[in-house]
Amino acid sequence: MLEISIFSILALFMLGGSIAMLVNKQTLFSAFGFLVAMIGLAGMFALLDSRFLALAQIMVSVGAVVVLSMLTILTINAKEENLPHEPNKYKWIAFASLLVLPITLLIYKSTSALYASFATMQTINSKVVGKLLFSEWVLPFEIVSILLLSAMVGAIVIARKDVVQTQGEES
Amino acid sequence: MTPELFFLLSSVLFSIGLVGLVARRNLFVLYMSIELMLSSVNLLLATFSKVFGDASGSVIALLMIAVIAAEAALFLALIIHMYRSSRTIDSDTFDRLKGQIND
Amino acid sequence: MISLIVVLPFLSALLMGVVYLSNTQKKRNTFYTLVGVGTPAVSAVLSLMAGAELLQGAQTIHYTLFQWVNIGEFNIEVAFMADRLSVVMVAFITVIGTLIHIYAAGYMKEDAAYGKFFAYFNLFMGSMLLLVLADNPIMMFVGWELVGLSSYLLIGFYHHDSANITAANKAFILNRVGDFGFIMAISLLFVSLEGNGFTFDSIEANIGLINHEMLALIGTLLFVGAMGKSAQIPLYVWLPDAMAGPTPVSALIHAATMVTAGVYMVARYSFLYGEIPNIGLFIASVGAASALFAALIASYQSDIKKILAYSTMSQLGYMFIAVGLGAYSSGIFHVFTHAFFKALLFMGAGAVIIALHHEQNIFKMGGLKKELKLVYITMFVATLAISGIPPFAGFFSKDAILVAAFASEHYFIWGVGSLTAMLTAFYMFRLLFLVFHAAPKSTNRLHSVPNSMTYPLVILACGSATAGFLGLNEAYGGGSWFNTFLALPDVSHHIPHATEYMLGGLNVILGVLGMGLAYKMFAKEATEVKADTLFKKILMNKFYIDELYDFLIIKPLLFTSHFIAKVIDPKIFDGFINLNVWGYTATATLFSKLQNGKVRYYALYILAGVSAMSCYMLFKLGVL
Repeated sequence: MLEISIFSILALFMLGGSIAMLVNKQTLFSAFGFLVAMIGLAGMFALLDSRFLALAQIMVSVGAVVVLSMLTILTINAKEENLPHEPNKYKWIAFASLLVLPITLLIYKSTSALYASFATMQTINSKVVGKLLFSEWVLPFEIVSILLLSAMVGAIVIARKDVVQTQGEES
Repeated sequence: MTPELFFLLSSVLFSIGLVGLVARRNLFVLYMSIELMLSSVNLLLATFSKVFGDASGSVIALLMIAVIAAEAALFLALIIHMYRSSRTIDSDTFDRLKGQIND
Repeated sequence: MISLIVVLPFLSALLMGVVYLSNTQKKRNTFYTLVGVGTPAVSAVLSLMAGAELLQGAQTIHYTLFQWVNIGEFNIEVAFMADRLSVVMVAFITVIGTLIHIYAAGYMKEDAAYGKFFAYFNLFMGSMLLLVLADNPIMMFVGWELVGLSSYLLIGFYHHDSANITAANKAFILNRVGDFGFIMAISLLFVSLEGNGFTFDSIEANIGLINHEMLALIGTLLFVGAMGKSAQIPLYVWLPDAMAGPTPVSALIHAATMVTAGVYMVARYSFLYGEIPNIGLFIASVGAASALFAALIASYQSDIKKILAYSTMSQLGYMFIAVGLGAYSSGIFHVFTHAFFKALLFMGAGAVIIALHHEQNIFKMGGLKKELKLVYITMFVATLAISGIPPFAGFFSKDAILVAAFASEHYFIWGVGSLTAMLTAFYMFRLLFLVFHAAPKSTNRLHSVPNSMTYPLVILACGSATAGFLGLNEAYGGGSWFNTFLALPDVSHHIPHATEYMLGGLNVILGVLGMGLAYKMFAKEATEVKADTLFKKILMNKFYIDELYDFLIIKPLLFTSHFIAKVIDPKIFDGFINLNVWGYTATATLFSKLQNGKVRYYALYILAGVSAMSCYMLFKLGVL
């Protein structure tokens, strides 16, 4: 009973947040909707006994990603009139949701085709994750670290102002 | 609390992300819809982790979050770069894929 | 050796053509004269030699040049055959041809395209000799076509005047209509013979294989070809217009040689026509009708060359009467004598035209008998010959034809022929008196006539006077040497000598009557005939046949061509293609709008595709 009510509140958060993100004209309001959805997701992870994952979600996804995107939004600082004109926004959303409906149904049907129920297990805390991370999943872990490194370098290269080096200014 | 609920929620979130990807012109909304899609998959992973009692699902979801972070950095860097060259965050202005019109 | 007779003129034509084309401005008259006149002379010598060989009792000379086509049963060789008929034809064709070449050297000497003229002229000689010496119907047809081509080239020789080009086109097109019949006949002949060889000798041997109806059809179709080539009704309308060419052309082609090709063809196929006497009667009737028709028109013409053209058509009618009724040798004999006096008449007319500075209307001439004495005497001889006055050549040949008509009991044809004989005398003497006797119309100085033009006239006059004696039949004390030499399968009729003398005398009387009538009307004063009565109007306008053809045939054809060219071709065919093109471009424009470069739209397309697939999968899963 408790779990269902928590689940429904969290689901409400997530759905509401995502729809707000989808519909809003102002970029920052969409970002806030997104934030709410991410927090709801963290709660979902906790409900699913993945304590470490919930914390990681808040730290990284909310604390880094959303913050970074809000930072970028504020850096760009587009005025109201410079935002893209979307005259047929709701028509587009309606049409796309119509197209997307079979996909949704398919995913739901195919995942729920396995007759499944929750198993009782201990919470997945940092000890469990750490043990797995350094034994079975060590290779993906290392590769992800390299990925992060290259992403960082790439982001810096893409985002910096173009510096034109002339012959005279060299050295 | 059955897994079907979680599955339903996950698929609905995925579809909302897909709709946002196609229907909105704002580059940031585009970005956030992609993030939403990735996050819905994370939810699915965590659910399966609980269904099978295996912690590997969580570990994979954790690694996914790292990937999401990397992708966020790059995406936002790109947006900044594109804003610098064309002074707009309307995705419909970037239409050079349509090629030249031959006379 | 006989191949040289044909090949030499072609080679000389080629040579002169190449030399002419290399520099059209340079005058090389001596070269052209030597080659152009020398070649027919050489051919003449060779032909006479071949004739002498056959006279001494040799058999037919065959000579194969090379194999042309060899496909199964269809086997054509370029081969020549000099039998008695062909050797007689080539003899007079080459001899008279050489004389006319000499005449042409004088007539055309001022012309800038002298070399071109002789090239064409020799091309014609070669073609005519090929036609006559051919060994099989296909080679004869090649010669037939080539003479048509040469005729076209020569009629349109003065090509700066577009009326001449029209006349040349008319000749060629009408020839072509006749050639259609000729081709059909040859094809039917080939198919009916079923692979038993296709030379004249083998056709003659196998003629029994073909049934009577097919023979009749072939005979008629061959005559359709002759109608076009030899200007009989209804395909004659090109002959008067062909007088637009230079006078030597009219003399050689449209008097002595090309137009007689039809008669030669019927004589060559005498073995075929012998089986179908009804078709022969048809041929004779067409010939008689053409003879009378042309004589009527000629009596009211005022252009000197057109009178002679209609006269040719009339005499050709006589020849067809002869070969139609089975008297092949008489027909060929008339071809022989006619060549002499008609060529002479044309050449004399050419001399008169040159002398009067290219005046061709006889009502504007007169009193030339003093100045052009030689021309006058020779033309007088020729006119006597054509009117059938003995002892000149025309009497014997025309008499033979009319006797044959009478003896085979076709009295109507005989009557028409005799009436035409009187008309012939009338209009020919009308021409002579108006040109030479009547009061002169102009007092201009005459242009001088070169000797090269007058000497051949003398030779031909001697021929016109004496050639008749070759065919003298027993009634008049001769041995019919011409007919016996030719050895054609004539239908023989025996009539008593008394009847023959009577018929001969009747011919003479008719001829003298015509001459007298012309003398009374035209010798002293000559008034141009006005078209007052309806009868005169019809005759002076040549029975309005040209206008009739124009109305019935030419105008509908032109209308149809215009219609197809202006309506059907652009609107229907082009319209259909344009509709296709429009369809493609419209579809392409429609589809090109899909590619607008915006990634969002592309994502939408992918979404649509995936959605469709998932619909299908849901359907398969049994959910939908």
